Amino acid sequence: MTIHNRIRQFFFPSLTRRFLIRVFLVGLFAYLFFGHLCIPFTIQGISMEPTYHNRGVNFCWRVPYLFSQPKRFDVVAIRLAGSRVMLLKRVVASEGDQVEFREGRLLVDGEELEEPYVRYPCSWNLSPRRVEKDCVYVVGDNRNMPIENHHFGQTSKRRIIGVPLW
Amino acid sequence: MKIKHLLVSAVIVVAGIVVIITLIPSEEKRVKRQFAFLSEWVSKSPEENAFTMLQKMKNIGTLFDERCEMKIPDQSLSGSYTRQEVSTYAGSARSYVSQLDLKFYDLRIIFPEKEIAKVDVTARITGRSTAGEQMDETRELECVLRKLDKQWLFSQIEVIEVLKK
Repeated sequence: MTIHNRIRQFFFPSLTRRFLIRVFLVGLFAYLFFGHLCIPFTIQGISMEPTYHNRGVNFCWRVPYLFSQPKRFDVVAIRLAGSRVMLLKRVVASEGDQVEFREGRLLVDGEELEEPYVRYPCSWNLSPRRVEKDCVYVVGDNRNMPIENHHFGQTSKRRIIGVPLW
Repeated sequence: MKIKHLLVSAVIVVAGIVVIITLIPSEEKRVKRQFAFLSEWVSKSPEENAFTMLQKMKNIGTLFDERCEMKIPDQSLSGSYTRQEVSTYAGSARSYVSQLDLKFYDLRIIFPEKEIAKVDVTARITGRSTAGEQMDETRELECVLRKLDKQWLFSQIEVIEVLKK
């Protein structure tokens, strides 16, 4: 086969049965992989700054939580009605833990949590509350805003669908 | 040659199915259309004139049942509202923004009873207030629509608390 023919065959392949099967399999794999296992998403918002920047691109990797539970300090994707829009937050406490903010410091069971990922000043105050059964407490890394403007709190573990790939 | 024939037949069959699905509006599609209208009429572009604004306000009212139960704590909306009240509230809320974009994602529609549709949906509002503040809110909603005179009308809207402070 000449180079010319090879190029032609690459861009305009013959519709052989083998080729059609290959196209079908690639399409199926792409749909399953990028639609259900490794969902691409764009970050919109600043609640996870500086760890994750606004307009950054990432993938929601769903495999880890098929076999394990979210742990403290994991960054997780939380689904709303479906997986087209998700919230990206960090787990700071698990069920049964008592969570409290005092002058911007996060206290879990009365002890201050060391949070190297929080880089911006914070002055939040939130009275102690206990994380309910089958829930985790999640907060964004960027707390440099009034507490009422930041979407955080406890959520059901069932809503956590994956982790960002990087 | 055989493969080409098969392929052409498959394309014709798929095109036929697509045309049939597109032309026959299912109840699910009719419900989705109400969300599309709500999104279109709540949204506001910076160039919107007074006539369009009045028209949209009037249109928003037509999407709602005579009385609609609302549970939207963020907006201090709780209780039963008439069509007129919803329309007036929407108009007043829109006056505080110069630009507004409401989008719905992941609509999950079930029909628990005849002429009742229950919809779980993610709503995202982005925009800018007249003071120049950026807005970006995402919430999960549970809506109930009732079919009246061949029209699906919003009769209940509740914000689901995904993160509980």
